[in-house]
Amino acid sequence: MTKWIRYTLPVTAIMSTASPAYSMQYLSIEEAQKLAFPSARFVEVQPGRVWKAEAGGRVAGFFIFDRVIGKHLFIDYTVVLTPGGAVQRVDILQYRESYGGEIRSPSWLAQFVGKTSGSALKVNGDIRNIAGATLSSTHVAEGVKRVLATYGNRLR
Amino acid sequence: MATASDRIRRARPLLGTFVEIEVAGAANAEMDAAVNAAFEAVACVHRLMSFHEADSDVSRINRDAGLQPTRVHNWTFEVLKAAAEMHRRSNGVFDITVAPILQALGLLPRSAGDPPNSSRARLLDAIELLPGQIVRLRRPDIKIDLGGIAKGFAVDRALEALRHFNVPVGMVNAGGDLAAFGPEPQTVYIRDPRDPRRLICSVEVADEALASTARCFDLFQSAETTVSAIIDPGTGRPAPAIDGATVRAPSCMVADALTKIVMISGTDVTELLGHCNASALLISADGDIQITPDWHHAVHLAA
Repeated sequence: MTKWIRYTLPVTAIMSTASPAYSMQYLSIEEAQKLAFPSARFVEVQPGRVWKAEAGGRVAGFFIFDRVIGKHLFIDYTVVLTPGGAVQRVDILQYRESYGGEIRSPSWLAQFVGKTSGSALKVNGDIRNIAGATLSSTHVAEGVKRVLATYGNRLR
Repeated sequence: MATASDRIRRARPLLGTFVEIEVAGAANAEMDAAVNAAFEAVACVHRLMSFHEADSDVSRINRDAGLQPTRVHNWTFEVLKAAAEMHRRSNGVFDITVAPILQALGLLPRSAGDPPNSSRARLLDAIELLPGQIVRLRRPDIKIDLGGIAKGFAVDRALEALRHFNVPVGMVNAGGDLAAFGPEPQTVYIRDPRDPRRLICSVEVADEALASTARCFDLFQSAETTVSAIIDPGTGRPAPAIDGATVRAPSCMVADALTKIVMISGTDVTELLGHCNASALLISADGDIQITPDWHHAVHLAA
């Protein structure tokens, strides 16, 4: 039977340092609006938070911006409601998380440079793909319920 | 404001995690349509296979346990067939009937009418897969949970949806279960299961899938790792000894299921990995990293 190859990590590799923020911007509010209602006109119902989408003189739906706390940083997201007040879609706009400080450190990132074939790694903190266990999305799910409870009936 | 870009990346909360989909190299309208179709595929898997949603196929199967056969969607049936195959090939280590144990440990919710102390049942005796996409659980105390395999299946369906569009590069990441296609390999970073704020290595992924699992932790409470959500069906206890596993396989469903087996069986799974054309990396509780010999060239350690 083929033998697995074993590596023992030095202690320094598993030490953690200060935790700066990492953030991923997926969409701006305007982009999310356009994706949800491509040809609609948006009327601000509550500044920076709730918009009514109108198309062809009719209400196409509602667009709500909200944020919830992840671990201790915000996750921005939007909820799109149908004219009847049902959730049509939820988009994450921006996701922030704190990581060990080394992820932003050029010397730590430099370890990977030249060892990766194909895709280039920018040594400025551009970690694009992270696997492994992630934050659960529970707080966003709770946030969507709250948005629905607050606006689901009122906006119709 | 929106700028013309050759790459878009979106995220939505689905499958109890954040599902991220990225495409590149096509017109914006084509990429938007591809991403929407891929999210729709994931949402469909979520509706069919969620343990938590009352009208999912999984909930209907569980409600009908011991009472009557249940007709399910062909996707659900496909996943159940794959689960049965994994169960057989892993000598019972992979088991989707561990739901009563997860409920007892508080990792899955109980519903009204659940027997208080369900005895454990083994999959091969417990589930009948009949022609016409009909499923029957033989005893009322059996419950299934597809949490160990459905997420990978959802990633496969999302990638398949992307491939129907004219986009040359695509990637789907459902909280650590991911798959990609395109002319160039993508670099993926694996978290340290003992400290999820840190990355432990990078892996090249090209036209294949990667699934990672770790002892479950709740970053909302603390960064400390807590009890594992991987249950050893042999003992009925959370699996010890291994802190995290990452598996590379041709499909994400297979990679997803194999991570659960590697978490329990460790390096004993070499034969099964070979059969599935898969490779694995595991992080033991003592901090050592072990990699199957066919894969170590694609894994770059952070130290």
